[in-house]
This record gives sequence, structure tokens and C-alpha cells, in this order.
Amino acid sequence: MTFDAVVVGAGPAGSAAALALARAGRSVVMVERGPFPGSKNVYGGVVYGRILDEVIPRWWEEVPVQRWVVRRSTMILTDTQAVTLDLRSQAWGREPYNGMTVLRADFDSWLAGHAVDAGARLLTSTVATGLLRDASGRVCGVRTDRPDGDLRARVVIACDGVNSFLAKEAGLMARADAAHVTLGAKEVLALPAEVIEDRFGLGPHEGLDIEAVGGTSGVAGGGFLYTNRDSLSVGVVVSLEELAASRRRPEELIAGFKAHPAIAPYLKGAFLKEYSAHLIPEGGYSTMPPLAADGLLVAGDAAAMTLAAGIWLEGVNFAIGAGLAAGRAAAEAVAAGDVSTAGLGSYRQALERSFVLRDHKRLRLAPQLVLSDRMQTQYTKVLGDIAEELFTVTNPEPKPGLLRIIWRSLRRHRVRGRDLLRDGLDTARTFR
Amino acid sequence: MNRAGPMVVVCVSPTDLRPEVDPLSAAVETDDRRCDLNAAEAAALEHGLRIAESWQGWVLVVCHGPIGADAVLRDLIGLGVEVVRVVDADHDSPLRPARRTRPAAELAGSPERVAAALARVIRHRGRPALVLCGDRSAATGVGAVPGFLAAQLHLDQALGLVSVVIDGPGRLLVERRLDGGWRERLQVEGPAVLSVEGAGVRLRRARLEDALQASQAAVEVDVEAAADGAAPGGPAADRTPAGHPGPGTWSVRPFRPRTRPVPAPQGDPHERLLVLTGALSTREPARVVGPLSPAQAADELLAYLSRRANGGNEPSGLNRRA
Repeated sequence: MTFDAVVVGAGPAGSAAALALARAGRSVVMVERGPFPGSKNVYGGVVYGRILDEVIPRWWEEVPVQRWVVRRSTMILTDTQAVTLDLRSQAWGREPYNGMTVLRADFDSWLAGHAVDAGARLLTSTVATGLLRDASGRVCGVRTDRPDGDLRARVVIACDGVNSFLAKEAGLMARADAAHVTLGAKEVLALPAEVIEDRFGLGPHEGLDIEAVGGTSGVAGGGFLYTNRDSLSVGVVVSLEELAASRRRPEELIAGFKAHPAIAPYLKGAFLKEYSAHLIPEGGYSTMPPLAADGLLVAGDAAAMTLAAGIWLEGVNFAIGAGLAAGRAAAEAVAAGDVSTAGLGSYRQALERSFVLRDHKRLRLAPQLVLSDRMQTQYTKVLGDIAEELFTVTNPEPKPGLLRIIWRSLRRHRVRGRDLLRDGLDTARTFR
Repeated sequence: MNRAGPMVVVCVSPTDLRPEVDPLSAAVETDDRRCDLNAAEAAALEHGLRIAESWQGWVLVVCHGPIGADAVLRDLIGLGVEVVRVVDADHDSPLRPARRTRPAAELAGSPERVAAALARVIRHRGRPALVLCGDRSAATGVGAVPGFLAAQLHLDQALGLVSVVIDGPGRLLVERRLDGGWRERLQVEGPAVLSVEGAGVRLRRARLEDALQASQAAVEVDVEAAADGAAPGGPAADRTPAGHPGPGTWSVRPFRPRTRPVPAPQGDPHERLLVLTGALSTREPARVVGPLSPAQAADELLAYLSRRANGGNEPSGLNRRA
């Protein structure tokens, strides 16, 4: 039995790829290792669904949303200070909406259901253990862990997540590099819906997304807090290398973040439902593998398509965008009878035209910049001190000038002028 | 599988194996997508498949579970078995969400009612050569369904088995645990209901091609079972039909501990409880007896226990040198 395409992984990228292939009239199988799509996923965050407009009209009427995000807070935390930029927009709580908190077990099942409705087959509880190759070395299917488990296809789309074994086996990705991944550790805390709404100033279906820089006990990274319907997702995302060097456990860092004076009051009375942790490919554009080989495409986390650019933390929308492009490119290549690397080249071209690679390329310096030591430790303290001094009333002394406050804070934290200048230029270049 | 051969029935009840329990109300939140067979049911099915292969028969899986269990059942269809799901009005309401919260007591349902519904489906399919169940459902089951099922089908029963060995066409050797580390070995001939523990065997996986074909298979649903299913079953002996060959299961070298008469307790139960527990009486104050050698410490402990066991009398049965 040979299919036009096999998609490994029924996450957002895989389901989007299968949906595009099935709608193009191609036979496609999704191979999912969990008992149902999303069952293995630990993500509980914000999904930006605009990319779904082109494939599922009025998706917001059926998507399994927890809350529509109408408040977005960006916090800069030191041990005792928090500087917060809090944005609220009621427009985000109306059609066509902006971001939503979701539980991936629900969201992935929903998206995979659309692919199945379009004609894709879903094979669950099955692990793709390796690639099949023909005599010329071209990828022609996957080997699974089932008896007689060779599954042949003209194109394989690897959406098997961060640390993709298929991309590695194909030679597209070197062995895992701890410098290019972060560790996300998360707790889901139960809290009644009405308490969430009172505590965070939200309406019945409205949600809040807090992203924090710092607050991770000196390990480079940040924290997050998302409101679900009747639970909170709270956790940290930290540099894997620094976490290992610190010899601390991720749950200690979560405990530290939860105990921060700016976070703890939000969590009062909540109790733990679930703890989970997962690697996140935050290396960005410069760490992406080649996206195609003969008979093979790579999409989603497997291709390091998570955008971690400080104020923007997005992944699912990039995965869906890449999956759709991969599915369309595979369908075209199969129709043309050329599934070589060149024949599948339209995948990269499509991504370069879309937000997926354009955003990553433009923000390629952001991951290193955000996780740099100065940004994580010195600048957060400088900003905290400046804000604190600015709003501290020192009567009968007159108010100091802003430049004087900035200068004093920079000196107190030993920030060198040339570093500040260089980082300022890098920031301007990155976010221009 | 040979459809003309003997029918081996396996009864399953897929449930959410990782339900969430509210720590305050003890309400249980289940998600149909997490439905799966528990270890005992998986073992029962594997035994059923092996027996059917050996006896050149076929396997009918009868499921009592929610619509969400269909994904599990399709996977079983990939193993070459026939599957029927018994409709349960509570489980199968189209308005019922996949994820819901219920009191724990409502999870398993009435075992008598479940057994009656299963028995009805089995009877519709013909006389089974064997009926296998897991020893209990994961949904707070108490292991009563197999017994009720045997009564409903007028079959003999051997429950809580840890080993099932094929001993030739139509014959099995089975073992079950007894108290004191003993085991009872039974020879089973003819139709019977067996329930097995989740031990000894691992359920095979469907071949890839079979799993792919089964992924789009329709699961047969018995819609009448629930309506008729409430008929309670009486004792099997009262309902044995004419011509039934009678018990086909007998024990071989059984362990039968001898009974001994125990005199009825005297006096007020409350007073006896106080005497037995030592409650409300003067307690022996703690004292330091060490440091002692291990042998001396053991003697001290034995002496203390003997005093406690004999109400202050000298030890009678305890061997101080033990």
C-alpha cells in the first residue's frame, strides 16, 4: 500500500499539512505516536489563529478555545521589582479575534479532525521509527513500530517535533545542540472561572497573557502566566545550558517564579493539577535545518520554527503556516511526478514569501539578544531601578532629572557604554 | 479467524485510565479520548486471541463503553476480531460532552445491568465456546460483572485467574490465587466465563495494514441491548435449560482449608472492643531500654509484644528464640 504522502506527527504542522494534501485530492496518512492528536503535548499557551482564515472560514465559531486574550502584559522582573507594560484591547475579544488560550489536547484533536474530514487517514498509537529509502537513496516512506510496519509514500513530511529523529536520520539536522533549545516547564493550576475573572479583571470569555523577562532565579529565561477557562498555566522557559550549569531543577524555578511578589497574589488558592516540561526550539532562523531532501519535507518544531523574539513568543501559527505550505508543495510535487529536493523546492519559496520565514529572518538576532547575560540580568535591574527611582518621592529633596537617574542606574549595575551602544544598535536592527 | 469455528467472546469496558479527581468534591473528570482497555481486559483479549487461534475459532469483542471508545475498538478490529458496542443511554447521548465530571459512584454503573446487556448481545450471536473478561473494570468496578454474566448465560465461572494455558481443543488449565500463597488449578472444559488478572501476557499490536484499514471501519452498535439489559439474572442453577450438560469446570487438587468452630463472642461488643484495643485504659509509658545488642533488642520487642498479645500474661505460643 503506497500513499501520496505520510505526515509524521499530528500536531498543528502535521494536521495542516495533511489538510492541504487531502484537499488537493492526495492520499495521505498522519502517523501519531499518542492515542489521539495532542495527547503527548504539554503546551498550554496562546495560539494566534489568523493563519486559519484561509483554510477554515470562521474557525472561531468552532475552535475549542479556553479564553480570548484581551489583555497582554509584558513584565520585566528583578528579585523585588516588576516593570509591566499592560495592554488591553476589547477588539481582540470580538470577531475575528487575535489570540486565544487553548489546551493542545483539544486544539490538536480539532485540527486533525478537519484533516480527517477532508479525507486524510489518522493512525494513532504508532511511532515512526525511521525512514525508508529506495535504491537511489530517496526517502520513500517510514518504518513504524507496528508489525509489518513499513509505510510507503511518495513524500514524507516530518512534523515530529523538536529533536526530530527523522530530520536527523535524513542528515538535515545535526545532533541536538543545547545552545539552540530552551526548556519550558509548566504547571496547570486549578482556579474557579469566576475567581480568574475577578482577579485578572476579565469578562466571561476573556483571557490574559503575561510574558515575563527574568524572574527565573538568575537562569537566563523568563516566565509566563496564561488564563484558561478554569485553570492557569504558569511556568518558565529557560536556557537549557544555563539550567544545567546552575544545577537547579526546573520545578524550583517555577516555585521561585510563582513566589515572586508580582505573581504570587494571582495564584492564591489555586492548586496543582498537572506538571509538565518540554524542549522548545528557540534558536531561530540561523538554526533551521534544510527544509527539504529527496522525498522529505520538514515543518514545525522539527524545523525550529518557534519564534522567540522577546516580546513575541509564537509557535503554533508558524507550525500551521509551514504545514500548509509543506502540504501544498508536496501535492504539487506528486502531481508533477518530481519529489526530488528540487521538485519540493516550492516549499521553501512559499515560506520565504509568507510570514514564516520572513519574520524569522528579520528577527534572527532576537533569540541571542533576549537570552544574553546583559539583557537578562543587567538591563532588567537598570530598568527596574530607573522606574523605581523615577516614581519615588524624595521630598524635601527636589526630583532628580531623568538623565541623572539613568546614569546613576547604569553606573550602579556597571553597564559599559560600548555594550549599551552595541546592544542598542542590535535591538534597533532586530526590531526595525 | 475461522468464523465457522467456536466463538470466543471477550467483554471489555474501555474507560479513561487517567481520570482527574477533584480533591475537594472527589468528583471524577473523565475524557473519552483517553479511553483504553485496562491491563486485565488487554490480557483477556490476548488470551482470547490465542485460544481462538488454537481452537480454530474466532473472537467477538463485546464492549460496554462510551462513543469515545470507538477509537479503541477500531484498533481491536485491526487484530481481526469482530466488535459490537453495547449502547448505553447514559454513555451515548449525543449531547454529552467528551469531557465531563461525575461523582465517582456513577462511573461503573450497575454490574448486573451491564452484565445483562452484554449477555443479550452474546446470546444474539450464538452459544459461546468461552467468555473472557478482565477481573474488574477500571471505572471503580468491583469485579462483579463476570459473575453476573455467568448467571445470565447459565455458564460456569472461574474468576480472578492469573494463568490460562490451552490444554487441547476445548480444554484449558487455569490458575487463580488463594490466601496464604496457595493457588488453585482448574481444568475448564466446555463453555464458561473466565475473568483474568492483568498479568502474564501482553496484548499484541495490529499489523500496520490492518490498523490502517481498521482506522476507517464502522463499529457495530447493538441498540437494543440497553433496553432489555435491566432484566436481573437469578442463580444459574435455577435457570439451567434442559439439555445443558451441567458443570464443565471442576477443580484439580484444590486447596480446601478445614473449617473449625469458633465460639460466639460473649459480652457487650463495645466493652470487648475497649479490651482488645486498650482504649481508655492506662497505657504503658514509654521507656528507654537501650542501647542493646540486636539479639537483646529482639528479645525486648518479643517480650513487649507477648505482653500486649496476652493482656499481661506470660507468653504461651511465642517462641522467644525465633
